[in-house]
Amino acid sequence: MSGVQLEGIVKAYGAVQVVHGIDLEVQEKEFVVLVGPSGCGKSTTLRMIAGLEEISDGDLTIDGRHVNRVAPKDRDVAMVFQNYALYPHLNVADNIAFGLRIRKESKDAIASSVEEVGEILGLTPYLERRPADLSGGQRQRVAMGRAIVRRPKVFLFDEPLSNLDAKLRTQMRAEIKRLHKRLGVTSIYVTHDQIEAMTLADRIVVMHDGHIEQIGTPMELFLNPANTFVAGFLGSPPMNMISAQVVAGDAGPVAEFGGQRIQLQQIPSLQNGVGRPVTLGIRPEFVSVADQSDPAKVRLEVDLVETLGSEALIHASLMGDPFVIRTDTVGQMHVLDGISGFTIQPHLVKVFDAETGQTLPGQVLEQ
Amino acid sequence: MSSDPDFISSAGPKTEELVFDAKEAQRRRRASRMQRVGDHLKREWQLYAMLIPTILWLVIFLYKPMYGLQIAFKDYSIFRGVAASPWIGFEHFETLFNNDQFLRALRNTLIMSAYGLLFGFPVPIFLALMFNEILNQKFKKTAQTIVYLPHFISSVIIAGIVITAFSPSAGIVNTILGWFGVDAVYFLTKPEWFRPIFIGTGIWQEAGFQSIVYLAAIAGVSPTLYESAVVDGASRWQMMWKITIPSILPTIIIMLIIRIGNILEISFEMIILLYQPATYQTADVVNTFIYRQGLQGGQYDFAAAAGLFNAVVAFILVMTANTISKRYSRTSLW
Repeated sequence: MSGVQLEGIVKAYGAVQVVHGIDLEVQEKEFVVLVGPSGCGKSTTLRMIAGLEEISDGDLTIDGRHVNRVAPKDRDVAMVFQNYALYPHLNVADNIAFGLRIRKESKDAIASSVEEVGEILGLTPYLERRPADLSGGQRQRVAMGRAIVRRPKVFLFDEPLSNLDAKLRTQMRAEIKRLHKRLGVTSIYVTHDQIEAMTLADRIVVMHDGHIEQIGTPMELFLNPANTFVAGFLGSPPMNMISAQVVAGDAGPVAEFGGQRIQLQQIPSLQNGVGRPVTLGIRPEFVSVADQSDPAKVRLEVDLVETLGSEALIHASLMGDPFVIRTDTVGQMHVLDGISGFTIQPHLVKVFDAETGQTLPGQVLEQ
Repeated sequence: MSSDPDFISSAGPKTEELVFDAKEAQRRRRASRMQRVGDHLKREWQLYAMLIPTILWLVIFLYKPMYGLQIAFKDYSIFRGVAASPWIGFEHFETLFNNDQFLRALRNTLIMSAYGLLFGFPVPIFLALMFNEILNQKFKKTAQTIVYLPHFISSVIIAGIVITAFSPSAGIVNTILGWFGVDAVYFLTKPEWFRPIFIGTGIWQEAGFQSIVYLAAIAGVSPTLYESAVVDGASRWQMMWKITIPSILPTIIIMLIIRIGNILEISFEMIILLYQPATYQTADVVNTFIYRQGLQGGQYDFAAAAGLFNAVVAFILVMTANTISKRYSRTSLW
């Protein structure tokens, strides 16, 4: 089967294990993003796939071939590095052609491949320039050119946009997405930037401490995070977390916190859960400024409103913990001051077990 | 618009005003620059204070002695002193270029420098590349220590080792030759053997230590260049040729320029320790010539002329090498 399969992949440095037996199946032509905080093992996993790190245990299959002991050059993968890895003494054309020359391809084939890649990436005017004479974005395009010119089965990206400024990053993100659509090559992309992960991925793999926390499409992970770690990691601003207790309400289970109440979804795991401590996860986007007449509104103490143009971030606090609301009702922001009322839709409240941090079964949030 | 010259002159500022404005602007710019420099000095005085010992060293040992260079153009007498000695123009230089011993020393200097450059310059680079390829760290450290060691041995001891090694009676070289039925050779009295022995000794003593500069340059090469090449399928040999050597090329060029600048600065103490009148023909260099004329013969003015010539040639060489390097490789000392 084509694509990339990781089965029980372990990486250990002596007695210290940094990747603890992960399983992942990347389909052919799929764009999978490994995301997680620094030290979570995402880059190590990518480097094991590239062959730059030895696999301590488990099985790695690329395009149906077991490649644990196969040299990087024979795995048919190409990698784009964070710091571009361009040869400073070679011009753009020679940098792109490097891999082909190593493989002793004919001069004509190399020239036409370089020309084609130059056109795809808009590098034709810069082919004679050296990396030092290019901007960050151009260098990153050259790095991608080096990868795509070899027409590999799998592209590996190791935080390729980290060295770029915010504007260029947005631009390059779109270029990578377009390139993937055009070439349709299986891609595995590592980043710690959840926005990159959300915008680029067909599926996101969230990693933490050498484990996979959750695998899913960006919206699956955004709406239905498996645990509080994923909930807090994806989304900007992150999901608000409230410690609460389940109590019985007139219309089913209710979460009580600081003398306030929110109606919860009718899910089996909460039917007999009265008295159970839970953590409520509420996305900043799923809270709105309440009408005066709304009896179910939650009162928050607003201390700052950041107007971002088309939207605003309301920084508030609830029982001393920060609570952020993202809203597009910019015009009403001036009326917010001190204690204000907000509406939270019950079907958009995620309930996690307070002890394990895992989501309670049976909840499926849909926007 | 009118073409009347009066109209033009009356419409714009007068020439004197323009000149005044330009001068005033220049004065203000200078004052502001001085202010900035003053502020900078006040803010960073500790850093500048740390420069003082180096500046003092430069002034005392390199600039102040330049005052004495004038004796190359004087009939110098230690009793009259530098200032009171009469000027004689280029007389010493004429004598110098008509002196067979000097011309022989100059030729020997150039030949030995050329050999040193040809055989001695690549060895540290080669050693650094080899060290970089050694994977076993223990072996690598041991090998490095062994090749660095001769640098820390005094030249007198090195010369003693060389003299002993090439001794016709008990030297290891002649002992080995004896095993093959070759008669003992007194190498250090043979002019044709002096240069190879001198160059070889220099390489043995300094190549290891000089390789540190190149090892440091290699350490500065980004590891991702190698990783990227590994993924591309490059072998270690290809990585050495296509990544390591081009990456350390600027360092190689800088070292070459410095080496060319010192081309006439042959390690003369080693020559003095190894040569003897029998080998002057190939061993005598400009510096030993200056030493013999100036310090042993008391001809300070004549020796100063030879030394000045040496310095001027070195200056021209380093300038030329730097210019060529700047033009063709974008790397230069300044």
